[in-house]
Amino acid sequence: MNMSQYYKDAEDLYKIYGYFLDRVLRDDKIGLKMSKAGIIIKFMYTDPDAEITIDLKNPPSKEGYYGTVYMGPCDIKEDVWSKQPADHSHRFWHGLENPIAGITKGIIKQGGKVTAMLKLLPVIKPAFQLFPIALHEMGLDNLIVTKK
Amino acid sequence: MNGNTGKIALIDLTENTVESLTLPEETYRRFMGGSGLAAKIFWDRADFAADALSPEALFILMNGPLTGIRLSGASRMNATARSPLTGGIAESSCGGYFPPALRFEGYDGLIITGKAAKPSLLLIDKGIVTIEDAGSLWGKGILECTADLRNKYGKKSTSLVIGPAGENMVPFACILNEAHHAFGRGGMGAVMGSKNLKALVVNSETKELSLTDPDRIKTLVKELTPRIKNHLISQVLHDFGTSGNLEGHMYSGDVPVRNWTSNFDEEMGDALTGSTLSDRFLKKTATCAYCAVACKRIVQVDEGPFALDEGPGPEYETVVAFGSLQGSSDLAAVCKAGRMCNDLGMDTISAGATIAWAMEAYEKGHITEKQTGGIPLLWGDMETVINKVLPLMATRSGKLGDLLSMGSARAARASGGNSLEYTAQSKGMEAPMHDPRGGHGHALAYAVSPRGACHVQTAMHFMETGACNYPVIGFEFDLEALTHEKKAETMVLAAAIGSVENSACLCQFADRSLTLPEIVELINAAAGYGYDVGSMMEAGLRIFHLKRCINYRFGFSASDDDLTPRLKEPARDGDTAGIEIQFDEMKNRFYEMMGFDPLKGIALRKKLESLELTEEADSIWPRTI
Repeated sequence: MNMSQYYKDAEDLYKIYGYFLDRVLRDDKIGLKMSKAGIIIKFMYTDPDAEITIDLKNPPSKEGYYGTVYMGPCDIKEDVWSKQPADHSHRFWHGLENPIAGITKGIIKQGGKVTAMLKLLPVIKPAFQLFPIALHEMGLDNLIVTKK
Repeated sequence: MNGNTGKIALIDLTENTVESLTLPEETYRRFMGGSGLAAKIFWDRADFAADALSPEALFILMNGPLTGIRLSGASRMNATARSPLTGGIAESSCGGYFPPALRFEGYDGLIITGKAAKPSLLLIDKGIVTIEDAGSLWGKGILECTADLRNKYGKKSTSLVIGPAGENMVPFACILNEAHHAFGRGGMGAVMGSKNLKALVVNSETKELSLTDPDRIKTLVKELTPRIKNHLISQVLHDFGTSGNLEGHMYSGDVPVRNWTSNFDEEMGDALTGSTLSDRFLKKTATCAYCAVACKRIVQVDEGPFALDEGPGPEYETVVAFGSLQGSSDLAAVCKAGRMCNDLGMDTISAGATIAWAMEAYEKGHITEKQTGGIPLLWGDMETVINKVLPLMATRSGKLGDLLSMGSARAARASGGNSLEYTAQSKGMEAPMHDPRGGHGHALAYAVSPRGACHVQTAMHFMETGACNYPVIGFEFDLEALTHEKKAETMVLAAAIGSVENSACLCQFADRSLTLPEIVELINAAAGYGYDVGSMMEAGLRIFHLKRCINYRFGFSASDDDLTPRLKEPARDGDTAGIEIQFDEMKNRFYEMMGFDPLKGIALRKKLESLELTEEADSIWPRTI
């Protein structure tokens, strides 16, 4: 049973992250810096179960983008993977979750070149401002999380 | 006795005598080892009227109960003395190879007093401590001296050495093992120098340990080693060194820039971070004894004004202290400055911070060219720092060397204007390179740590950044870095945990993946203390309170638990800009929770007695009839 506060199902999650990551990977500052990591990251979610792969290693499939996003399971072999509840990720992209604490407590599991992913953390920090904007643009203000 | 050897060497350099001291097992259990046991010995034996650099002053080296068990992060030891920098208790922790070698030679620690008539060294060989002549080594840098000792005493020997700064009693002089692993803080090198003690050498042939439950230790080491090695922090440390997340810290406001006038500079973060160091200068990694993490860097700079042979590379603290703090993003200069400080024997934090303060003072006209002897002190001018300033500081030469070798607080008092206000220190010890404006708990930790501004005497640094989870003691909540909320409550736990780490002599990086019950099990299997989590935490608190009592005996009080205005002013830029630190609220709450007297800054009699510190309580709080 899906226990998510924010996502009805995987399709709902893909729709929201698709819109958001499309903006991030076109962003000349954030996208460019992310592409310098040169890695393939697989995000695995629970509640709902879903999978998103971001390829920052191979040439982007679309012009004007700094990487390629694959929604759902794909055959591309990741360099690093991260698994966490979808709701935790939702709050993370608002800048409201400490990823180090998430890993320490076992909420986030990781594998592969985790140090490469850690290096991405400061790079993606400006995207925390974009996530609520993306939700607003999608008419999903009810999913915007504010600090208590 | 198991785990510990039960034997401590008592060395009087004035009388040229070596005796053996045995303490009751109960003392070991109450004070654990390392920092705690050294504090107890200091309390019992110190002449509190003696100057830090007088012959009467004590210098204590102490292993912990786990030293030598071949577990990653468990090969550290503690040094304790009166600090020539602060006048209070100084303690410092060092890894490397000396601690297990001393344990294998049959000693838990060394208590050194007196002053040798001529430059000397202590040799520990086949279980016997002798005082040897070191006249030919005096004046040598640490790199050359270490190599000489290795040549003389063999490849299996390992040494602790001071450099010219220690010989000249610079109050932030350090001691190095194998020219790489430092007793960095508090001026331990000066204490050795004041005793005419150039080095200590252990020539260890055996690897035997007596443990309470050797099979259990073997099993625990086997079980825990992969977990320690694969922990995220360990992986970052292995791949990129202790400056591995410098760039990330820069974004969270943790990295000081230009003498703490800023805590955000994106370009400096990118230029100085650990992956940049690895890409540009890393030759290989290095490690402390038996550690699978291997966070140490061996670097080489091939060309340019700061070209450097292959050798020990900089830690995070050095990178920031000789990088962003001095307005420089030149990583080659950092490598060179770090190597020079190692050779001269100076703590890179205090040396770097004092120079950064001087650069601001020079800019403001509070230090003039008359005081610098005509040497300009300009932000980012690392050629001047390396070629002129550091050698002058270590040898206390010229007006500038004389001034800066005092450390920032004393130098500011000797200079003009309001320059003391923009030093960044507590109790006279310069703050490490973690800006409290990026994590308000650091402000409290720096202020109340007995040795002065310090991020490793307690566990606050790791607890605030989210790297700790201790549900067994109720610490399973997230801390918001930029508020004072729950920081006093956390600090009580952090004081106990930090004392446990420094007394068990565990590395605060490598032990992050250990649970508290696992630490209890390790200590019990090694030394048979019979701890549970509660009694181990109580021992940690006992040790923290004892160090506070020592400082009280040195004349410190609650008013010394403070930070300079620079460290408390709101940040000027980055994500933390404008946010006030509620320092007084945190400190008052912490005092209340610790049962501290609001003026004396130590616990009241009842609290001390409850922690089995009755004798200590009697000497501070006389019983009334």
